[in-house]
Amino acid sequence: MEKEARPSWDNPMQFVLACVSYAVGLGNVWRFPYLCQMHGGGGFMIPYLIMLVLEGIPLFCMELAIGQKMRLGSIGAWSAISPYLGGVGIASVVTSLYLCLYYNVINAWSFWYLFHSFQTVLPWSQCPVNSNRTGFLEECEVATPTQYFFFRETLNISSSIDENGSLHMGQALCLLLAWLIVYLFIVRGVKSTGKVVYFTATFPYVVLIIYLIRGVTLHGALNGVKYMFTPKLEQLANPQTWINASTQIFFSLGLGFGSLIAFASYNHHKNNFEKQAIVVSLINSGTSIFASIVTFSIYGFKATFNYESCLERTRLLLLNTFELAEDAVNKDNITFWITELNHSHPEQFETIAIKLETCSLEAELDTAVEGTGLAFIVYTEAITNMPISQLWSVLYFIMLLLLGMGSMLGNVTAIITPLRDFQLLTQRLSSETLNGLVCIFCLLLGLGFTTRPGNYWFTMFNDYGATFSLLFIVLIEVITVSYIYGLKRFQKDIEDMLGHQPNWYWKIMWGAISPLLLISMFVFYIINYIQGGTPTYQAWNKEMGKSVEMEYPVYGQAFIALLLVSSVSCVPITAIYAFCMRRQHGTVVQERSINTMTSAI
Amino acid sequence: MWVWIVCLLTAAPALAEPLCSKEVCDNYGYKVRISIKTALGDKAYEWNESEMFLFRATVAFAMRRYTSDETYNVSDIVVCNKTARVSFWFLVTSPANTAQLVPRGQVEAAVRLSRNRINSAFLLTDQTLQFVGILPTLAPPISYDTPPWLIVFGVVMGVVCAGIITLLLSTLLKRTRSKKNLLETEEEEDRRGSITANGRLCESLREKDPGRGHPDDVHLSKL
Repeated sequence: MEKEARPSWDNPMQFVLACVSYAVGLGNVWRFPYLCQMHGGGGFMIPYLIMLVLEGIPLFCMELAIGQKMRLGSIGAWSAISPYLGGVGIASVVTSLYLCLYYNVINAWSFWYLFHSFQTVLPWSQCPVNSNRTGFLEECEVATPTQYFFFRETLNISSSIDENGSLHMGQALCLLLAWLIVYLFIVRGVKSTGKVVYFTATFPYVVLIIYLIRGVTLHGALNGVKYMFTPKLEQLANPQTWINASTQIFFSLGLGFGSLIAFASYNHHKNNFEKQAIVVSLINSGTSIFASIVTFSIYGFKATFNYESCLERTRLLLLNTFELAEDAVNKDNITFWITELNHSHPEQFETIAIKLETCSLEAELDTAVEGTGLAFIVYTEAITNMPISQLWSVLYFIMLLLLGMGSMLGNVTAIITPLRDFQLLTQRLSSETLNGLVCIFCLLLGLGFTTRPGNYWFTMFNDYGATFSLLFIVLIEVITVSYIYGLKRFQKDIEDMLGHQPNWYWKIMWGAISPLLLISMFVFYIINYIQGGTPTYQAWNKEMGKSVEMEYPVYGQAFIALLLVSSVSCVPITAIYAFCMRRQHGTVVQERSINTMTSAI
Repeated sequence: MWVWIVCLLTAAPALAEPLCSKEVCDNYGYKVRISIKTALGDKAYEWNESEMFLFRATVAFAMRRYTSDETYNVSDIVVCNKTARVSFWFLVTSPANTAQLVPRGQVEAAVRLSRNRINSAFLLTDQTLQFVGILPTLAPPISYDTPPWLIVFGVVMGVVCAGIITLLLSTLLKRTRSKKNLLETEEEEDRRGSITANGRLCESLREKDPGRGHPDDVHLSKL
């Protein structure tokens, strides 16, 4: 029976779009703008672009080269490079599995918000009314309607990780839908994935452009954009800026998961991956910068809106306390009136002095948010204040879904490609069944994130599931390729594929600079972790209406350790196993040769 | 006669004054704050005595509606302490006896019942026509038979399931078809009988379609 030829992309464009769709994900939208804000606005571009050149592009190219050369998933590819280092591939698959488990929950939330956008009044724009219809629900009063909708109606979050809770049926349904869509996209392997990425890679840009136009025309948007582009160059002296730049490049490109190796393994042998690596990396960074312009214009709008609301509340307070005519006080002369009234009616002014808030546009712009808080609380709040908010809401969540789905495709492909390389599984199960089993397995485990304390487990996976392991994996990868496999052999393989040897830039990066950068990132990460003390998480306190920091309980910390150890330990365990197997086979071969020799005598 | 009239005229405000004193207002009256310019911006109207008359009329209407007593009149609503803010206090006197004031609770209930009507008479809202101390009655939440999100979810889920089933079925059909084809060609080869290998090759070369025999041909021709 003839073996089926390895499936391949219909054309190189599909491969490039698949890589773009995978690399351009939610992190470009919600992590990069935050880092920009924290580390001096426009000035952050300098360390970011330097790290892209020193670390991002070389490592990306290396993974593509390995995949295209070996034409196997991560486990097979690394076993072929060095039999002792098959564990690197296994660690990649384990990390990808952890990511798949929790990442699709974000898509489930996006679906939930998307479906709730089809109402005349967006449910997160108003607080629900309390039982006797005299006011709003207490939890919503102390927090904002968007926070209430996210924490109470979407997550139904408990007040700590210890509390047990039931499944949120709506979330579970949305998670099921998300996994069904992932299955639909990967059911035929690269044949189906290749068609889907045309859409998932390009449509987010359409939405981003629409949002850019909408964003810069909003009232006050330019305040935000100006704030972003004014560089605070003193931040460049802060080492944390450089560390964050390098980690952002690293995670944003999706290195170490095995997805790039998997995608490249379906390439034609002579595909020019070198040019494609540079193109995809530049597109990824360009998208980050583009998305942060959009984000900052929305920040500017929201900050201006909050600032003007604050001024309005102060104005009303002054009018009501001092019985002034309505048009006497307006936004411009508030400060004048405050000083005037303080002088003329000091005792009356005393009574309201506590309630008087200082309104500052700078302070509003300085509040930096990242992650799910940015996407589901800050952005949604800004959307409710735009005209025709339902349309903007639908567009926004479709964009989030496409970005998330594109990254999911890469991660699921990183799991099923090495599994398909195992003859044992391919003989018994067809590819559709295997893909279905992987999806069902991830769905069932992922349901745990839809319970009441689920969001805390989600945060744990998000913070610890992939970060440390990836640094370790990519470090071992680059050292293996440069020193164990040998840079010379690698150059020859590339020459075989591309027709020319890689030039001095690649050689220096692979051999020296990237490993050094990775080692320093690794060391900094460990130092940060140790210095940080007990790991903590943000728990939602419903009486106060805000998040409070709480320490993980003992079993939580044990689970974090388990997450870290389980993926990292694959490398040494497999190395030892391979060593033992070799020793055993070595003695068996020796015995056999002795036997044959004795029998021949 | 003249003296009487003058006395009455001077006494009248004196009589009215205790009504607008602080204790009476606190016990029987409500403060109202009106923010027309905030609500209507350019289309704001001027607050004048006619508007005040309308206000008193609407409150009288509210009292009539609540007590089902049709004797309430504009004169039963007393307004005091008007300011430039456009805020004032109002009290309600009983229509039967002008000296008797309607208790606060009744006034509050009456206003709450007809709040919507009072607001719309002035094109204002609960926040811009503020009765200090009377909580607004918020509109009840819209309840749906099926939440709209479930409907959209159902549609998307249906489309996705249809897509998956179509893809799986088409793959299954392709596989069974290719298996059937394979079986057919094997049967044909068996049927051609057990001649020598070379003879069989000649037979197959002659009778097979040119498209189908190629891989075998190339392989054998290299020998």
